[in-house]
Amino acid sequence: MPLENSWLFPVIESIHVIGLAAFVGTVVLGDLRTLGLVRAAPPSLTRWTHSGLAIMLVTGAIMFFADTARYLHNPAFQVKIALLVAALIVHFALRRSGTRLAALLSLTLWTTVVLAARAIADFDV
Amino acid sequence: MFNPLLELSRWLQDTPLRLELSQSTWAVPIIGAMHVLAIAWFGGSVLVNDPRLRRFRWIGLSILLLTGALLFWSQPVRLYYSQFFRLKMLLMVLIGASALLPARHARWAMPFSLALWVGVILASRGIAYR
Repeated sequence: MPLENSWLFPVIESIHVIGLAAFVGTVVLGDLRTLGLVRAAPPSLTRWTHSGLAIMLVTGAIMFFADTARYLHNPAFQVKIALLVAALIVHFALRRSGTRLAALLSLTLWTTVVLAARAIADFDV
Repeated sequence: MFNPLLELSRWLQDTPLRLELSQSTWAVPIIGAMHVLAIAWFGGSVLVNDPRLRRFRWIGLSILLLTGALLFWSQPVRLYYSQFFRLKMLLMVLIGASALLPARHARWAMPFSLALWVGVILASRGIAYR
């Protein structure tokens, strides 16, 4: 049975969402702290951030390769990947500078990545 | 037999808001996306588990519950009959109950509630299918 029709697919989707909570949750927390909107946040979030990111990339790749045709022709997926590339560049190149601009960019990009990702199911052709 | 939950679902089904939500192109996708963002917001602050983040956590939880209620409102009768939705609600009741436990149980309440949240996310994904 192909993966996209198996019960494993929603399970992998769920693990992707759990990774999202760890990754985007801690990134947002760090960015809001940089922007001064959250006064207190623990100094070291990177362990959660990187575990979450690893989980997301692995489960995301599994889902993509389970049904490449579905995703490649999906406009929401195309937008998501473009935003994801930009977000990852900001995350690894700019964000460690600790500037408010980097934090703002990171917040905006990750938010729109999630919005576009959620829209994939609505744009199936 | 009178079934209050089914009656409530049917009543919500006939409200003008349900019609608006289910007929709009953008309402449910946008509310759904906000729901997922709130999972990140709330889940992230739970994992970090810093008492100073309490207010931040409550904001995330409020957005999660509010958008969740609207998503339910968009198709109440289908969700009433969904097995995974029932499982999700059951798990959430257990989470609520575990939050009421006295503080001396805090050491195992945290992993217990995290496991329940994992179950909630798994059940939620299932709703899209059945």
